Amino acid sequence: MTLKPPVGVQRLPRGPDPNSRGFDRSSPRFIALCPTSIPSSASTDPDIEEEQRVRSELRERFLRTLLMMTDKPVQFNMYEKVQVPARFGASDIDILNFQVSDLETPLGVQKEALLRCQDVISCSFEL
Amino acid sequence: MKWRDMNPLEWREFINHEVCVTACDEQRFEGSVFTVDPVSASVVLVTFQETGRASVRVILGHAVRAVQILRSGSEEMERRMKGLILPDTTPSLCPEELQSRRENLRLWLERNRFPVTEDGQDLSVASVLTISAPYRPEDCSCTNEIILARVQSLVQNQPYRATTPDDIT
Repeated sequence: MTLKPPVGVQRLPRGPDPNSRGFDRSSPRFIALCPTSIPSSASTDPDIEEEQRVRSELRERFLRTLLMMTDKPVQFNMYEKVQVPARFGASDIDILNFQVSDLETPLGVQKEALLRCQDVISCSFEL
Repeated sequence: MKWRDMNPLEWREFINHEVCVTACDEQRFEGSVFTVDPVSASVVLVTFQETGRASVRVILGHAVRAVQILRSGSEEMERRMKGLILPDTTPSLCPEELQSRRENLRLWLERNRFPVTEDGQDLSVASVLTISAPYRPEDCSCTNEIILARVQSLVQNQPYRATTPDDIT
């Protein structure tokens, strides 16, 4: 990625949420998005062990994918055909927010930014 | 059935196969499935280009509308994807080398006041942490983060030469 001078942090007008535009963990929006329990078969089901084993394997693969994505240039494909490149930093445990650096937006390069995963359709990178 | 409502065993059926994922905004993505995140139902697709480079796409679970299998996966594809993202699980060291490394690490941990026992190929530290071959910091597993960090840094700082408990610190 070519180095572009970053713009100052933009303070956008406050959105409908009373706090933090959707990042507030006690807001109804966050609680609705964040699963408090994961659906699974009944604990009496003989397949539960296999299900748990597969769940762990799938999750490990996903976490390793996120690890591979770290510090790499990633193209974020968002709603309304918005495509923004950025350097991937980290994700939270529930995959609700992505921390990125050098986010290239039409307003300029944001040095550090938090992307809401609900706004992201997909993201891609090369290995 | 909604994608997000599937269970891990059902998601597993898609692994390694070539699929077409239909997402919102009428977008379609093709590739081989590396995994489906059980927490967010996000799909990870891999495609290898002619240049040999791989393109990896993560489609967030909330955006997945449909997943259709196009072609069955091959063992070759599975091997390539695993080699790309998963760490090397097969140690390239011979049994004698592994034995010697295990022994050296055991002595080093004991010198540092950690109780260690051998559990087959693994080392069991204080009954809560396991170190498997080839006994690098990343081969430590433990449910306690603090103990894990402490032992990992010890493994990282292990002196190169073999040590015995009689060595003067």
